[in-house]
Amino acid sequence: MSGLLVGGVYGILAVGLSLAFGVMRIINFAHGELVMYGMFAGVVASRMLGIDPLLILPISFLVGALIGVAQYQIVFRHFVGQATLQQLLAAIGCALVLQMIAQLIFGADARTATSIFSGQYIVFGPFFLSKAQIVAFVIAASTTLAVSLLLNATAWGKAVRAVADDVEAAEIVGINSSTVNIGAFALSAGLAGLAGTVLVTYFPVTPVIGFSLMPMIIIACTIGGLGSLGGTFIGGICCGVIQQITAMMWNSALQDVPLYVLLLAFIAWRPTGLFGSRVE
Amino acid sequence: MSLLAVESLVVAHGDLVAVRDVSFNIEEGGVFVLLGANGAGKTSILRAISGLNPPRSGTIASDGRNLAGLKPHEVAAAGIAHVPEGRRVFPHLSVEDNLTVSFLVRRTNLKLAQARDNVYALFPRLAERRRQNGGTLSGGEQQMLAIGRAMMNFPRLLMLDEPSLGLSPLLAETVFERLGEISKLGLTILLVEQNAIALRLATRGLILTNGQVVLLGEVSALQDSEFVRHSYLGL
Repeated sequence: MSGLLVGGVYGILAVGLSLAFGVMRIINFAHGELVMYGMFAGVVASRMLGIDPLLILPISFLVGALIGVAQYQIVFRHFVGQATLQQLLAAIGCALVLQMIAQLIFGADARTATSIFSGQYIVFGPFFLSKAQIVAFVIAASTTLAVSLLLNATAWGKAVRAVADDVEAAEIVGINSSTVNIGAFALSAGLAGLAGTVLVTYFPVTPVIGFSLMPMIIIACTIGGLGSLGGTFIGGICCGVIQQITAMMWNSALQDVPLYVLLLAFIAWRPTGLFGSRVE
Repeated sequence: MSLLAVESLVVAHGDLVAVRDVSFNIEEGGVFVLLGANGAGKTSILRAISGLNPPRSGTIASDGRNLAGLKPHEVAAAGIAHVPEGRRVFPHLSVEDNLTVSFLVRRTNLKLAQARDNVYALFPRLAERRRQNGGTLSGGEQQMLAIGRAMMNFPRLLMLDEPSLGLSPLLAETVFERLGEISKLGLTILLVEQNAIALRLATRGLILTNGQVVLLGEVSALQDSEFVRHSYLGL
């Protein structure tokens, strides 16, 4: 049950990555760093300004989106359409730079933020659940829903999907694919920032947290299918549930082991994931 | 000034020169046909005009405005629509959404729904399939959608790259019939074809061999040419 809640947040962390890949064929290995800045935004709000982190979610989105646009303009713009080794290395470089900057600003210590739900629990049948995690799940699920509405029901979202389908065809019918790409990347990064602030209400942040989040994000995307947003969200939930079951029945230090096994299995036998349709 | 003026166009893919020194003008009205065998450079010319493959040298102008260096979406906004080889409809978008995303340029005062209805009137089949994804349509329907999508921007010049390719003779006939109707509406058409039935529709045209123009002129001159008689009529 709490695996489901944790998984929902993994889901929203991964949805942004999946979106950028679906539209631009870019794997942003610095996605975890965008999450980290979202987490620090929550810390700043809670510890320095005394505002509940959940109230600044739109600002967290903006923080992520702005850093994302900078990333895109400086680095990823040159790699659109090619998830190559060079692109991965550039993204990792990007991640390291963002980590150093965070280290300079915030120091290396782990920090937490408290929302009105932090540290409160409710008992639900046999389950003992954190309120912060329930709220985080609700926000993650509704944000994912909102994003898929945006992509399916608005003219901009349809243009994004057209670019994802066929960039050249999109261009010749008059869609400016560069601005669509920047917008999609900003959305992807903004989602990371928002998810970070939600996460920090129950999970402490350090400048290097991104690299420990990234494996989970990648696994969620692989299980769900890179490029499929709903699938990725479900992939995140699978990760959370499997982690918790392993921790309960086996050993919490080994909770990630079955996930890596699953990752290898998917790569070997079903690289498009449960819901992905595109083979690269 | 010509609707489209192509002057000394050279297109190359790396070391391979696909189009050498091609010049032609298209005036308002009528159907201009670009005829040639596989690999003659027809597609390269269209892709150069629409900005997908910038030419190595030469000029492309529409009504005196230089198009070279423009991005494909800017060429589309200038009123030149490209129906690409292989149709290239958006497979994961519905028929209706394929049309919707092609209306972003807004070259008219019409509403989106009116523009879509125009296309549906031309291709009633698309109206029946409006909720279906582009990728699930038959080849002929995809061709209609690709043409309809190009019509959404109310272009001044409609360029089509082998619209009959991969279609049954009957379907190809239907597509050409529709193109005839579109032409009668006053829209100028640049038609790239291997299929000689294109000549029935055409008013002027040129014949391309190995990236070079071998004949340019009225359609009657093309019909009498060695190339057409030899390639298509077996004479």
